[in-house]
Amino acid sequence: MIRLADAPHDSSLRIVDILGGHGVRRRLFALGFHKDDIIELDSKSILGGPVLVRNLTSETSVALGRGIAQKIMVEVVDKRE
Amino acid sequence: MTKENRYPDIIFIGQPNSGKSTLFNAIAGLKAETSNFPGTTVKHTHSRVYVKGKVVNIIDLPGTYSLNPSDPAEKVALTHLFSEKPDLIVNVVDASVLSRSLELTLELIELEYPMILVLNMIDLAKKKGIEINVEKLEEILGVPVIPTIASRGRGIKEMLDAVFKALEKGLTIAHIKWSRDVEDKIEELGKKLPENLPVVANKRFTAIKMIEASGLFADKIVKEISFSFSKVLNRVRQDLETAHSAPAYEVTAAERHNLAHKIFEKSSQVKRGRRTTFLDKVDEFIMHPILGYLVLIAVFLGFFFVIFKVGNPLEGLLLGPLDKLRSLLLHHLGRNIIFYLADGLLQGIGGGVAIVLPYFIPLLFLMSFLEDLGYLARAGFLMDTFMHQIGLHGKSISPFILGFGCNVPAIISTRILESRRDRIITSLLIPFIPCSARTTIILALVAFYLGPLWAFGFYLFNIILIAVIGRVITLFVKSPSPGLILEIPSLKIPSLKSMLQKTYFQLKSFIKFAWPILIAGSVILGLLQYLNFDRFINLVLSPLVEKGLGLPRDLGVTLVFGFLRKELSLLMALQSLGVRYQNLLQVISKNQIIIFTMFVNFFIPCLSTVAILWKEMGKKIAFLSMALNVSVAIALSFLFRLILGKL
Repeated sequence: MIRLADAPHDSSLRIVDILGGHGVRRRLFALGFHKDDIIELDSKSILGGPVLVRNLTSETSVALGRGIAQKIMVEVVDKRE
Repeated sequence: MTKENRYPDIIFIGQPNSGKSTLFNAIAGLKAETSNFPGTTVKHTHSRVYVKGKVVNIIDLPGTYSLNPSDPAEKVALTHLFSEKPDLIVNVVDASVLSRSLELTLELIELEYPMILVLNMIDLAKKKGIEINVEKLEEILGVPVIPTIASRGRGIKEMLDAVFKALEKGLTIAHIKWSRDVEDKIEELGKKLPENLPVVANKRFTAIKMIEASGLFADKIVKEISFSFSKVLNRVRQDLETAHSAPAYEVTAAERHNLAHKIFEKSSQVKRGRRTTFLDKVDEFIMHPILGYLVLIAVFLGFFFVIFKVGNPLEGLLLGPLDKLRSLLLHHLGRNIIFYLADGLLQGIGGGVAIVLPYFIPLLFLMSFLEDLGYLARAGFLMDTFMHQIGLHGKSISPFILGFGCNVPAIISTRILESRRDRIITSLLIPFIPCSARTTIILALVAFYLGPLWAFGFYLFNIILIAVIGRVITLFVKSPSPGLILEIPSLKIPSLKSMLQKTYFQLKSFIKFAWPILIAGSVILGLLQYLNFDRFINLVLSPLVEKGLGLPRDLGVTLVFGFLRKELSLLMALQSLGVRYQNLLQVISKNQIIIFTMFVNFFIPCLSTVAILWKEMGKKIAFLSMALNVSVAIALSFLFRLILGKL
C-alpha cells in the first residue's frame, strides 16, 4: 500500500483507503472517488504540485492537490502496457 | 418562496459541467450562464418562462455534485430543493461521465419527486466510445430519459414534450433499493423519526440524510429535538460502521456509487481502445509539466495583450464624445449646482461606458472562452503549486483573473471556494488586483510619461506584492487550506452563444451592483466640488500628502475621489493641479507620478468593492480589507519615496 502521491505513473491503481477529515472524504465521494475504484495517474506537475487522476471506474478526471494525494492510499493493480 | 402563483415550479439540477445552464438558456433565453469551472452559477436563477402556450417557473440551481453540500454555491442548491416540493425535477447529466453523474440522479430519485433525466452531451459520450441504451436506462431508473445535445439545440423539443407530459399526467417515482442490511437500518431509523422533526420528501430520505449528517450542524439540532432519537441514530450509525468498517456517510455514498456503476454497466456499452482525438493530443500538450507552463504564460500574456489592444482604442473612442458633452454642458449651464450634479451623473455613467466596459467586456469574453474550452480548470491545476505558496490553491485563479476586469464580480465568484478560510484570503487579495479603472490610471500616468516598460514593471511589482501579502496573511491564519480537489472536464470547442451568455451574466453583476454605486459616488463628488469642499479635504490630508508622500497638497482631494471612483483620481488630479494632461510634467516630477499611482492604486478599495465585501463576507472583512489596503498604500508610497529620492 502506497500513497497516491508516490504512486508510479505507468500502472493502474486501486484505491485502498481515503484518509483525512470528513470534508475531504465527502468531497472525494461526491466527485465519484471511492474505495476499490481503479484509477491512473495522468500527469504530474513539477515542483511537488498537484496530480491529475483519471478514475477508470467512473470515467472522470480530477486534479488533486499534493496534500490530498498523500491522504489517498492505493495499491498497484497492474502495469499499463 | 411562497406558492401564490399557480404556475408549476420546475427545478433544473445537475452536477457542474453537465451543460445544465446551456439547456436552461435554450428554453429561458439569455438568463443564465454555463460553466466549465465548478459552480460559477453561484446564485440560482428564477425565470418565469412562456413555453408552448404555457407559463412555468424554471429554477436553475447551481451545479452540485451531491445533495451533501460542501461549498456555499452548493448550499444554495440544497436549501432550495429542501424548502419546497417542486412540481418537477429536471436532472441534467453529462452523458460522457454517466456513471459518476448517476450518483446524484440516484440521490434525487430518493426524494421520490416527479423527475425526468436529461442525458446531455450524448455526442461527447459517443466520441468517448460510450453507447447508452436509453430504454434500458429508463426501465432501470423508472424515470423518463431524454438524450440531448444542448449546445446544438438537439433534443430540446423532446425534452419539453417530456416536461409537459410529466406535468399533465404526473409521474410516480420510487427509490431503488440498496443492500439489504443497509435498507434494514434505514427502515428502522425511519420508523423512529420523532413527530416534531420535519420530514423532507419522505421518511426514508430523511433517515438517510440523518445518517449522513454525522459531524455536521444538523446533528446538533437533532439532539436538541429528541435525545432518545439521537441515541437511536448514533446506534444505527455505529451498526453500519461496524458492519462495513467505514464511517456511516461513506456507507451510503458507497451504496450509491456501486449502484450507479451497476446501472451504468447494464445500460451502456463501452468500446475500449478508442482513437486518441486531436483534442486529446492538445490536452497532453497543455498539461505537460514543462510545456504546459510555457503555454500558460503565453495564454495569459496573449490574454492581456488582446484586452489592451481592444480596450485602449475603444476607450479613446468613447472618451472623446464624453468630453465634448461635458464642455457643452458647461457652456450651456455655467458653473452652477445643476452643472455639477449633471456633470457627476454624466461622469458616473460615462465612466462605466468608457472606462470599465472597453476592458471588462473583452476580458469576460476571453475568460468565458477559456472556461468553456476547459482551460480555466487546467490553469487552476497548473497554478496550484504557486497558489500554495500564498496559502491558497488552484481554484482561486478564476476570481483573480476576473479581478483584473472589476473587483466586484471577482469577489462574488469566490463562492466557488469550499472553505471560508480560502474565501477570506482570496477576497482580501482581490482589491490589490489592478481592475480596469486602475489599469487606466497606470496606462495614462506610468505608461504615458515613463514608458510602457515602466507600466509593465508596475504590473509585475503588483503581482509580486499580491503574492507577498498573501504569504503574510496566511501567517495569521492557522488552519491550512483544504487543498485542491477540482474536476478537469474534457476539452470542448466552446460555442459562441454560450460565451456571449456568460459574458452577459458576469456583466450584469457589474451593471446592477457596481455601476449604480459608481454613479451615486460621482454625483456626490459633483456636490462636494460645488461646495468647495475639496479645499477643506486638502487641508486635512496635507500632513499625509505633503509631508508623508512629498506630493503637492492639491492632490489630497483626489485620494477621496479615489475611494468613490478609482479612475476619477486621474481626472481630478489634472483638475486640481490646473494643468492639461500633456503638461503634467511641468508641475510634478516623474518620481511623484510613480508615488501618486502607487498610492491611488493600492489605497482603499473603491466604494463598490467595499460594499460587495460587506455584503458577501461581512463587516469585519470589509473593514479589515480597507485597513489592509490603506496601510499597504501608505507604507509602499513612503518606501518608494525614500528609494526614488536616493536614485
